[in-house]
Amino acid sequence: MFRQAVRQVAKQSSNVVRRTYATEGSTSSDALKLSLALPHQTLYSEAEVQQVNLPSINGDLGILANHIPIVEQLRPGLLEIISKGGETEQFFVSGGIATVQPGNKLTISAIEAFKPDQFDAQAVKSLIADAQKRAASNDEVVVAEATIELEVLEALQGVAK
Amino acid sequence: MFRLGATQVARSAGARNYATLREIEMRLKSIKNIEKITNTMKIVASTRLNKAQRAMASSRVFNKSDSEFYANADPELPEQSKTLLIVVSSDKGLCGSIHSQISKAARRRFDELNGEVDIVTIGDKVKAQLLRTHGDQLKLSFNGVGKEAPNFTEVALIADEINALGQYDSIEVLYNKFISGVSFEPSKFSVFAAEAIEKAPGLSKYELESENTSETLAEFSLANSILSAMAEGYASEVSARRNAMDNASKNAGDMINRFTILYNRTRQAVITNELVDIITGASSLD
Repeated sequence: MFRQAVRQVAKQSSNVVRRTYATEGSTSSDALKLSLALPHQTLYSEAEVQQVNLPSINGDLGILANHIPIVEQLRPGLLEIISKGGETEQFFVSGGIATVQPGNKLTISAIEAFKPDQFDAQAVKSLIADAQKRAASNDEVVVAEATIELEVLEALQGVAK
Repeated sequence: MFRLGATQVARSAGARNYATLREIEMRLKSIKNIEKITNTMKIVASTRLNKAQRAMASSRVFNKSDSEFYANADPELPEQSKTLLIVVSSDKGLCGSIHSQISKAARRRFDELNGEVDIVTIGDKVKAQLLRTHGDQLKLSFNGVGKEAPNFTEVALIADEINALGQYDSIEVLYNKFISGVSFEPSKFSVFAAEAIEKAPGLSKYELESENTSETLAEFSLANSILSAMAEGYASEVSARRNAMDNASKNAGDMINRFTILYNRTRQAVITNELVDIITGASSLD
């Protein structure tokens, strides 16, 4: 009985100690940890961020810290990363999978990701014209490929300046 | 005249003990050429190693999201399942035991699964080795990849072909895991089918909004695993090649030393012989 009480006191005091000493640590563990990986490059590796806006196939999603675990397929669109300082970093992704893992971790596996200012609007336009031409062809495979290209390019058109 | 006689003497002696001077010289020259080649291959391999390791590091991060998901969801394999074994290696040799180790691992895994296995190979070397023993199970093979670090496009094309083979309960990707510059280890990735993912006990931890997410996930993680396997395999191969060529250059260096000494000794013997001839000839004139 006494022993139990002692243990409880001990536990409480250790809690207190942890709280006083680890204020910084506890705030950082609450932050969302983002890993943004491409097959050939790692853009973010467990970096702490404020918020991430994802282009999912079910619509756009804003992910904050302590989000429930989800698995989302990405559509071509703009990925926004808001860092702890409030600066926004944008990437255009062509597709991929985003997973919120238990433990406040967001992992995004995208096939390609580039910043919007790296795109040439003129080139996008000419590629769209080309893909539209092919989408009118008779071959089913060509049409399917062209439709996918169009989907990406049209999303890109809104982003590239 | 004297000289001719001397070489003839040397040759007749060489038939018993020594090779002739000319033979040693040719041998020495060819070893020197081989050393140059192995040395160049070693240098090429070490410059490629950096790039290969970088590609491998990023592919590891890329694949981590999948492996974490599987670790949480923990899918189970159905009993009596049909497995597809994808054995990843490459087309080129001269890199130590990379290819034979991976095919040995494939054979071992084949026996563990009681032969309920179909095999797909990536790379000619491993195909040639597995074709001898498991020719009937070999369904598909790819070549021409693995010369450089893999890119996602070629991997997606390979994954497409593999998906067209039909439904498998589980897919295992066998590859050489890069451990350090001097060692590698045959290991495997497990890729689960969409059904196995849906039945996974830990899946309730995740929220899946759309219906066919598990299918997308299964296809995506197949491509992911092949990519990682190829990147790791490439890095292991390059570093194994560097080591093999390093050893070959060292051995060639040893041989060059031995043959240079032998060459000098033989030359000295020939000269001594000639001198003896000349002196005997001169003294006989007195």
